[in-house]
Amino acid sequence: MSQGLGGVETPTGIEALRRMRSTRRRRYVEQLDVMEVLYRVYLGLIFGGFGVAILAGAINEAPATPEALDWMRAHLAAAIGLALATGVYAGLRAGSHGGPLAIEAAEVQHALLAPIDRGAALRPLALRQLRIGALAGAVLGAVVGNFVFRRLPGSPVEWIAALAAFGALVPATVLGAALLASGRRLRPLAAGSLGFLLVAWSAADLALGVTTSPATMLGELAVLPLQGGSKAALAIPGALLALAVLAAGLLGVGGTLLEAARRRAALAAELRFSASVSDLRTVILLRRQLASERPRRRPWLRLRPGRPGKPGAAILRRDLQSFLRWPPVRVVRAALLGVGAGALAAGAWSGAPAALVLPGLLLFVAALDVVEPLAQESDHPTRRRLLPIDPGSLISRHLVAPSLALAALVLIGTATAALVGRDTAALGVGVVLCVPAAIALAVCATFSATADPYGNLLTTPEVQYAITAAPAFAAAVAVGLPLILARHAERQGGATISVAATVAVFIAALAAAGIAFLRQRFFKRDLGRAAA
Amino acid sequence: MSAHASLLRARDLGRTYDGYIALGQFAIDVAAGELVALVGPNGAGKTTFLTLAAGLLEPSSGSVSIAGQAAGSIPARAALSYLPDTPVFYEDLSVAEHLEYVASLHGVEEPGSRIEELLGRLGLADWEDSLSSELSHGMKQKASIALAFVRPFQVLVADEPFDGLDPPSREVLFELLAEARGEGAAVVVSTHRPDVIAAAGRCVGIREGHLAYDGPADPAAIAEFFDAEELSPGRAAGGG
Repeated sequence: MSQGLGGVETPTGIEALRRMRSTRRRRYVEQLDVMEVLYRVYLGLIFGGFGVAILAGAINEAPATPEALDWMRAHLAAAIGLALATGVYAGLRAGSHGGPLAIEAAEVQHALLAPIDRGAALRPLALRQLRIGALAGAVLGAVVGNFVFRRLPGSPVEWIAALAAFGALVPATVLGAALLASGRRLRPLAAGSLGFLLVAWSAADLALGVTTSPATMLGELAVLPLQGGSKAALAIPGALLALAVLAAGLLGVGGTLLEAARRRAALAAELRFSASVSDLRTVILLRRQLASERPRRRPWLRLRPGRPGKPGAAILRRDLQSFLRWPPVRVVRAALLGVGAGALAAGAWSGAPAALVLPGLLLFVAALDVVEPLAQESDHPTRRRLLPIDPGSLISRHLVAPSLALAALVLIGTATAALVGRDTAALGVGVVLCVPAAIALAVCATFSATADPYGNLLTTPEVQYAITAAPAFAAAVAVGLPLILARHAERQGGATISVAATVAVFIAALAAAGIAFLRQRFFKRDLGRAAA
Repeated sequence: MSAHASLLRARDLGRTYDGYIALGQFAIDVAAGELVALVGPNGAGKTTFLTLAAGLLEPSSGSVSIAGQAAGSIPARAALSYLPDTPVFYEDLSVAEHLEYVASLHGVEEPGSRIEELLGRLGLADWEDSLSSELSHGMKQKASIALAFVRPFQVLVADEPFDGLDPPSREVLFELLAEARGEGAAVVVSTHRPDVIAAAGRCVGIREGHLAYDGPADPAAIAEFFDAEELSPGRAAGGG
């Protein structure tokens, strides 16, 4: 016999499970390369500290104006609550598809099929996720609190404490909602409807300037130092409700469907590997599978047959057909990302200009979905090479439909920014920026979605991360830079639209260079294969 | 068959995937000491039935019970041992550690002698300290068999358990199945192999998710319901 797991003679099932997990944890720790871990912590601290210092310098401006404070007191909790409600919606949907736990296939086969309480088996896994999420949320909240007190009334301690508590409760709430949906076996329609109701309720709170939705109540916790009286007191039921959702989720976790757990186990293992090699394209595809996000069988609209012999029209038609089969959740997600980008831009414009880089990041996430037809051309090189069209032209023609779709999203964001900021100048800036920003976003997303993850394996991990992050960074700059410069011009009494137009020309030129680079990338790939 | 003696019972059992019927209105009783060969072409619904019985899948309609308890319940999990078509292991536990762990999960006291016996009989004694990544496909299958037999059970459902085994190991598996039957277990084995069908007392055939045959494991009788090609080992590539 081998030395085995330790030598306790007659453990009960759950004791055996605990002992095995403890042994595996110990082995994992023993196998860790301490120097490698320390190096990563060191890098994290260096870059994290550097980023925080830059951000602190960028947003260390004058205190917020009385008008801005009035708006924040009336609406900021609801705006934060709306974002939280969207997170809860995502959690409920993930839970209805078997999330949020990613259980090992062997754990399903051996532990969950054994005659032991599944709740007792799964709760430690959920608590581990909760610990990590709550800690990360609290740290992030404290960092944000450290910036906020410089611009808003309230002491540093108040802001840091309030935002750290809120930051810890956000992942707890989202995780709790996901566990609740998973353990109670809510169907996707029921979970989605519940989440949608909460989002709509929170949106109504935002529009009416009231605090009635549980998410808005929790949002009051985030702005506690700004509030007083009954509004501040509403943070307590908000926090208690969040904890109640978490408790209910943890208590019911044993009800998780095993078939969903098995499916997630297989996908999560692939997802971890893809993430470890920075294969963003595979990560996107697997994430869609995890969420059971499949194209519609019936398109939203059937296109009439196109005229033969026109490759450009055929490619455009193929791309539009792809959009017309988007599942509702993807349509809603893209629209929400557009709305979120606009709302963030409006908020950042009046409050913290450094945050103007965030709308670009949100739109980049949407762009990754929008360039799907083009990414599929990259996924299937043989099919691509059999087409009677050169790869460069194929790729650039595939950029037309995504650019149109992204221009529509930028316009949605523009309309939102105009509504939220009550500033018609936003409309002008948005219209001027819409086409160049859309093309730039499509190019950035195409760089990500068509990258060869194994092309950089010989480089160091830091270089790989930098290459992976570069398109997102470029997207943030492509949208954020014109906004920052236009805002600066407004503060100096200059013409915002003419500044935005000038920068838009520069962004368009960079996008054109990006398209040329992409054409070259596909030329090289196809010619290289043909030569081989 | 007497309803009281039935250890595995399915009634109007159905499972659909997005409208596709993987199993429909399936009914079966398997008594103590019975060995049933579950046959049918690929995609017929064999694996769906076995995973429903194991409690890994939820039925869309009907019910399946193990020793009188709903499949998937704690008593049913204690009573049923499931041998999957693809072996599943923790990547950081050795073969012996897997066996000890699974035995402990099922409340086996002093599993050492049973583990040693299974490792010896299945030719795994030299591999007891090996991780799954160090095992060949056949070795993994043998380790998976050992995991199914290291714990007590009243019902054994095995999905293509003979695939990937060498002839001596096949003989050992036949012996283990016979011993389980002798101890009063009900055994259901999905298979495409004529020798396994011949060894079974009873054959249940599934086609397109529905019961197509239930009777003696008589090749002539079965041939009336299935083409020889549908059951030949050469086509035994996947589960049902």
